Amino acid sequence: MSERPVSPTPVSATPEKRRRRILGRLPASGRAALAVVLLLWIVAACSPLLAERAGTIRLRERLAPPSAAHLFGTDDLGRDLFARVVCATPISLAIGLVAAAVALGVGFAVGATAGWFGGAVDLALSRLIEVVLCFPVLFLLLALAAFLPSSPLTLILAIGLTAWPGDARYARAEVMKIKDLDYARAARAAGASTPRILARHLLPNALPPLIVSAAFGIGWAILAEAALSFLGVGLPAPAISWGGILSVAPAYIDEAWWIALFPGLALFLTVSAYNLLAEGLRTATTEKGPV
Amino acid sequence: MTRYVLRRLVLAIPTLFGIVVIVFVLVHLAPGSPVSGGGEALRRPTGRAAEELRRLYGLDRPIPERFGAWVSRAVRFDLGESFVDRRPVGERIREALPHTLLLNGVALILALVIAVPLGVVAGGHPEGALDRVSGVALFALYSTPTFWMALLLQSLFSVQLGWLPLYGVASDPAPSGLAGLVDRLAHVALPATCLAYGTLAFVARLVRSGIAETREADYVLAARARGASRRRALWTHAFPNAILPLLTLFGLLLPALLSGSVIVERIFAWPGLGRLFFDSILARDYPVILGLSLLSAVATLGATLVSDIASAAADPRVRDGTAT
Repeated sequence: MSERPVSPTPVSATPEKRRRRILGRLPASGRAALAVVLLLWIVAACSPLLAERAGTIRLRERLAPPSAAHLFGTDDLGRDLFARVVCATPISLAIGLVAAAVALGVGFAVGATAGWFGGAVDLALSRLIEVVLCFPVLFLLLALAAFLPSSPLTLILAIGLTAWPGDARYARAEVMKIKDLDYARAARAAGASTPRILARHLLPNALPPLIVSAAFGIGWAILAEAALSFLGVGLPAPAISWGGILSVAPAYIDEAWWIALFPGLALFLTVSAYNLLAEGLRTATTEKGPV
Repeated sequence: MTRYVLRRLVLAIPTLFGIVVIVFVLVHLAPGSPVSGGGEALRRPTGRAAEELRRLYGLDRPIPERFGAWVSRAVRFDLGESFVDRRPVGERIREALPHTLLLNGVALILALVIAVPLGVVAGGHPEGALDRVSGVALFALYSTPTFWMALLLQSLFSVQLGWLPLYGVASDPAPSGLAGLVDRLAHVALPATCLAYGTLAFVARLVRSGIAETREADYVLAARARGASRRRALWTHAFPNAILPLLTLFGLLLPALLSGSVIVERIFAWPGLGRLFFDSILARDYPVILGLSLLSAVATLGATLVSDIASAAADPRVRDGTAT
């Protein structure tokens, strides 16, 4: 194996210090996005306050346009759309976060193993990544979501198990880069076991690019959940999700534009915030700042 | 070059095998199969459908034998019969294919025609006005859910303005001659736009970053020093070198477009492959679901191979494995 340039950064920084430095280097857009994400989580935490309003059916007020009484208008059953959009926040955020975590876990395990062992293992695992990438994501998602019993766990697994190849590619490249650096060699020479080196030395140092990949993954997972709910194979009622609210919009497209507009806007805002945060994290972790 | 092509072809064999295995696993996740277990009683096919499923996939036989039977049928492109209308799966796919090809073809052309020049011009002046504006716009498109975009466009162009039809492939009855062509174009406009913008954002960002990197390469500066105009240096010197490494990614546009087709074809009542797949999911029409999954994955593998080989033929860095 050829000699690689040794980067001084990974050895010197403790994870604690590095985390503070990443946040400090986050560009303004990234900080704004982080604020929006935090705000969304606060909204999600407060959303049970509106649960009753979101579920109350008033057929006499069905398809009412936005007004002071109903900020976003009402849906086909006369339920307050503002309350429903707010109450859908926790499901989208939580499923997005957990599914992206599953994808990251599977992706890191596969990618790091491939990068660490190289050779035949790498060849085999790289084929596995390639195989999953060959399928249209939505084909796999729909098949998994429709064939397995519908539950939050199914959704999380379906999204997590289709989204990991991207994370795996990052992890593989990162581990291949790091494994020949001095500190990894030193750990090996000191007799550390492979799992220990992977978990204690490689994971923390491969983390910055993986965090970026994971942040993009959250945005993607939220979109995937919304698409599945929109297509009617997400969580069944009474669970509220943005995609689920939007699924009735086509039927009323010529009389109630607000059913299409507001839940989609919430979805767009959330996904943009996560993507913008991811973009900012990428800038913060790759740009060479003062060490 | 021959070595590279051979290596790629040999590596495609295990990938093809993996695709067949994944589709086989999907069969066994399907309700009514031994693995899926109890619970969803309502979804389980009963009577004739269950019998058919068992016969088709040999569910009463041991797993290795089952796998062997499935592979031998898949190799012969014998995809079975649709549970819904008893017609061969291949026939149903052939019927839907032209619609999807038209829609995706228009979308792909639309995306590339806008994305490539935009990426080159934006990348030619990084941080310039156009780069900043297009950067924000592309970022917004990137985060916009397809089905939301579809609903907004329908609401604006079909309902409020009444310019374009809400859905369908053509008016009924379809006008003939030039009016017929205009009618088809009006019908394809909105779904193709919805399908195109994601690809557009993806490609434009890639081209932009490729150009931004190569525009200061020695050979581009040398061309400028020899007196080539800015535009010429950008398009004939920077562009080919920036675009070549991206060629390998083009094979992966196929599954992305097919994914988009599922949503777009459903909203716009477009009778293509995406709609066929979704209807089959709802109807639990397993032979169609599996046939379509297999074909689309194999088509993607083929497209990836072609784009890899094409980029290797054009770019020595790829053949030598020195490209990043």
